[in-house]
Amino acid sequence: MSNKNEGLVQYHYNDAIGGFFEFPTENARAILPPDLQPVEPRHGSSVLAVMAFDFHTSPVGAYSELILAIFVAPRVEPGEAWPRAAFYPFRLGTTTRESREHAIERWHLPHYMQDINIGWERGDGHITIHATDRGQPIVDMTITEHEWSTVDHRYQAFMNDEEGAYTANIFLAGLFSENEEERGGIVIHSQAMTDLLDDWEVNVTPFRELWMKDGVQTFHPLKQLASYAPR
Amino acid sequence: MATRVEAQTSMSVSDYDYSSFFYSSSDDPFAILDPYSEWYTRALRTGYYLFQQPMSTPPESRIEVTEGLHHEHIKLLNLASYNYLGLSNRPEVIEAAKAALDQYGLGAAGSPLLSGMMDIHVQLEEALAKFKKKEAAMVFPTGYSTNVGMISGLMRPGDWIIADQNAHASIVDGAILSKANVRFFRHNNPADLEKKLKQTTGKKLVAIEGVYSMDGDVCPLPELVEVAKRYGARILLDEAHSAFIYGDNGRGVAEMYDLEDEVDIHIGTFSKALGGQGGYVAGSRKLYYYLKGFARARVFSCALAPVVSAGVLKSLELAQREPELRERLWKNVRYIRQRLEEEGVDVGGSTSQIIPIMVRNDRRIFELGHKLFRAGLYLQPVIYPAVAKHRSRFRVSISASHTCEQLDEGVQILVRVLREEGILV
Repeated sequence: MSNKNEGLVQYHYNDAIGGFFEFPTENARAILPPDLQPVEPRHGSSVLAVMAFDFHTSPVGAYSELILAIFVAPRVEPGEAWPRAAFYPFRLGTTTRESREHAIERWHLPHYMQDINIGWERGDGHITIHATDRGQPIVDMTITEHEWSTVDHRYQAFMNDEEGAYTANIFLAGLFSENEEERGGIVIHSQAMTDLLDDWEVNVTPFRELWMKDGVQTFHPLKQLASYAPR
Repeated sequence: MATRVEAQTSMSVSDYDYSSFFYSSSDDPFAILDPYSEWYTRALRTGYYLFQQPMSTPPESRIEVTEGLHHEHIKLLNLASYNYLGLSNRPEVIEAAKAALDQYGLGAAGSPLLSGMMDIHVQLEEALAKFKKKEAAMVFPTGYSTNVGMISGLMRPGDWIIADQNAHASIVDGAILSKANVRFFRHNNPADLEKKLKQTTGKKLVAIEGVYSMDGDVCPLPELVEVAKRYGARILLDEAHSAFIYGDNGRGVAEMYDLEDEVDIHIGTFSKALGGQGGYVAGSRKLYYYLKGFARARVFSCALAPVVSAGVLKSLELAQREPELRERLWKNVRYIRQRLEEEGVDVGGSTSQIIPIMVRNDRRIFELGHKLFRAGLYLQPVIYPAVAKHRSRFRVSISASHTCEQLDEGVQILVRVLREEGILV
């Protein structure tokens, strides 16, 4: 008898935040593999998703993670459940070598190869991260809260590396707050982890802010895709 | 029973909206129709039926609508139609339209560039140009085609269009069709406009609106014009919701700010203040000549129906001859705004005749819409993706034809339902 949880990998977090920022589609297309289509909330504007997780329990222990991703059109089989959103993570930074090696091997996620530091400041109704590498700033981002509810949302991620192209379903469960009040903000610093972005062109105010607490991120098994060439 | 899109998650029908169905799986373009229909038929029952309910009366203060769920005919107080000056059903307008019907028949039967131009169109264009104090005005069959035709007719690949992030879909679609580079600046934010303009070289067009249709706020035209001029950009001002009602003579927000000559392209529609249909571009004679050849949305559309053109011409005449219509509109706006403020209703940043009733609860907006509808008030819910998440609202449109008693009645119904539902404390 098969175990329905077979192949699932879980990462438990205290806080997970995401800021969605408009930036030029030309920049998005320069980063994306050719077969992935950026989602445009406005003509010519794609979505840069900057996300950060504060994991307290995972197969590789506690660590924090900064993700730079682009929202793309989902790809599902007919009849398959539709994800809340799909994204292409193009650079991740983690605070430990073990978590980095695990994510590269298991999920083919493209990493910034230095340990980074992520400082979390939890305030009244807002949360701020300061990501740095050996004292050099990478990203400072503030996300604000709205109404909280308990959710279990499905997302779809696309990855590719020298070995091939992949997709995985990712579920995020826990307390959830989302708003489009434009109260948060970001400063993207010129640094190796952000060098694919034309930071001058990234909007400094998120059009959407996500904050999740006390939850779990569940990766479903990776699927290899044949439809786009690795780069 | 959960739909396929809900499977495997805790999401319900209200977690989805139109934006969830933009992309589909499989190689068949029709593959999206099944899951969409499955969601939509359920969404209809939960509140989407409030959209597109057929009206069987003129869009006046009192209307009759066929309810979307049970097909009952329901009499309602109308605070949703654009009929700002109350001209859509004026006897003089109807008389002019009837006379045009007798003279011209139903349609123009041709593109304005070919056989569709009639003398009533020439009269309307000349009257508009005179009213706007411009060399020429060009009439389009819809407001949408006006922006699409204007922008795609003038701008080219490699050019730059810098538009307010809340610009109407017709401005966006015109920009897409032009294949020019497009950037959006933060709403009503001259500093962000400057940031975007700084990054551009070559031909530039700044596209803004006089009054924005969802929030009812007015653009800071002097500051935006100053920035645009400093960077050598041309300015397109869409006065769909401000022409014929703003300014001492009704020439719009540009007149109100005394910036009519600084704006290069004046856009307006006939479907709002004039109660008709169609749109116009007003500007230089040379712009008219160029658009005559290159505004494909006009060249390849049948001309505005002569019956509508005659009605609009009469509406324009009345709007100019009866400034008391504007005075009555603004008196009504002041009145209802004061009543809403007294009751503590959140109207966002509106300063115009478009007054959003901010509910800020995406999950309950349809339930409230249903209760308002059943209580006799006709208001349209506005929800994501038309507005940002958690900024759902009802949009009130005030008309000169409303009476104070009707506005009181509308406020009473609104406040009662908002209080009963805990939105207003």
